Amino acid sequence: MAHEPMSPEEYKHHVKDVYVTTVILSVITIVEVVLAVFYEKYFIDARDFPRLPLRIFVVLASIMKAYWIMAVFMHVKHETKGFIYSILIPTLFLVWAIIAFSWEGASWSDMRDMFGNY
Amino acid sequence: MAEAATIDQNKEAQLWKGGKSPFGSSYGKIMMWYFLISDTFTFAALLIAYGALRFAQVESWPMPSHVFDSVPGLIDHGAPLVFVSFMTFTLILSSVTMVRAVQEGFQMNKWGVVKWLIPTIIGGLIFLGSQYLEWSHLIHNGMTMTSPWSSSSGDFVSTVNFGQLFFTITGFHGLHVTFGVILNSWLLIETLKGRFDRVGHYEMVEKVGLYWHFVDLVWVFVFLCFYLL
Repeated sequence: MAHEPMSPEEYKHHVKDVYVTTVILSVITIVEVVLAVFYEKYFIDARDFPRLPLRIFVVLASIMKAYWIMAVFMHVKHETKGFIYSILIPTLFLVWAIIAFSWEGASWSDMRDMFGNY
Repeated sequence: MAEAATIDQNKEAQLWKGGKSPFGSSYGKIMMWYFLISDTFTFAALLIAYGALRFAQVESWPMPSHVFDSVPGLIDHGAPLVFVSFMTFTLILSSVTMVRAVQEGFQMNKWGVVKWLIPTIIGGLIFLGSQYLEWSHLIHNGMTMTSPWSSSSGDFVSTVNFGQLFFTITGFHGLHVTFGVILNSWLLIETLKGRFDRVGHYEMVEKVGLYWHFVDLVWVFVFLCFYLL
């Protein structure tokens, strides 16, 4: 498709979008790293301290980052609906895969507990 | 004959064979997206394998902040995640400069594209250089794909698994970055030669841009799995 050059206002708007996204991505990354380091520094010795809150946070934060990269950098925001669905729907299989293989991993763990490491 | 072919090509650029372009988009762009989806599944398979193996050895898995606690050449210990944060920012920023190059391409601004492609390539090279330093530091500390290595945490089997997964996944990602740098350099040369002005659009910048952003997108999840969780 040949692209029509954007109008100056539209162009400015798109450029601003990019820089706003840069700030969002940077802030999320900094918060993630600081929290992860903080967690390890203060709770590492108490290994039983629940790591779950941190994990939930960093997973959600990463999904947010993925959303911003796809929406703005990869321009998905401006594609047609059908195209967006054709990209996103296949990835739903991954939800199954993550559940199935975590299950599998937990089962390996059980077997190791029962029969030893090898 | 040659003339007819050019006319056909021009027509195909607007409309696919069915008389309408699916999703109002071009063939190349849609195929780039579908390639990226297939690549998503490859990376997802690797990361899910990581998840399964880690899940099987939760207690003994090496702690990321112990393994990655140095800045190669500067700090030996006690700087957890500093170096990888730097790598992450390099990749994010080179993604930003890439998207600026794409936007200048929309405006048919040749020198704008050149101006933003150069920092993109430099960012990619810095990332690869950092990865080289990180790898050689870890290998120097004994991490391999075949034998357990001494770490302050983690037992025999999990350290082997950690090394295998780490080198496979970051290596596969690094390979993608390498191809991205090659593609971007090619793009820079062709832009300088004026190819896209002759063709009449800068869609190739957009397509390579999609690939480059995808590399950044994958890094978000590699970073999540290896360094944060």
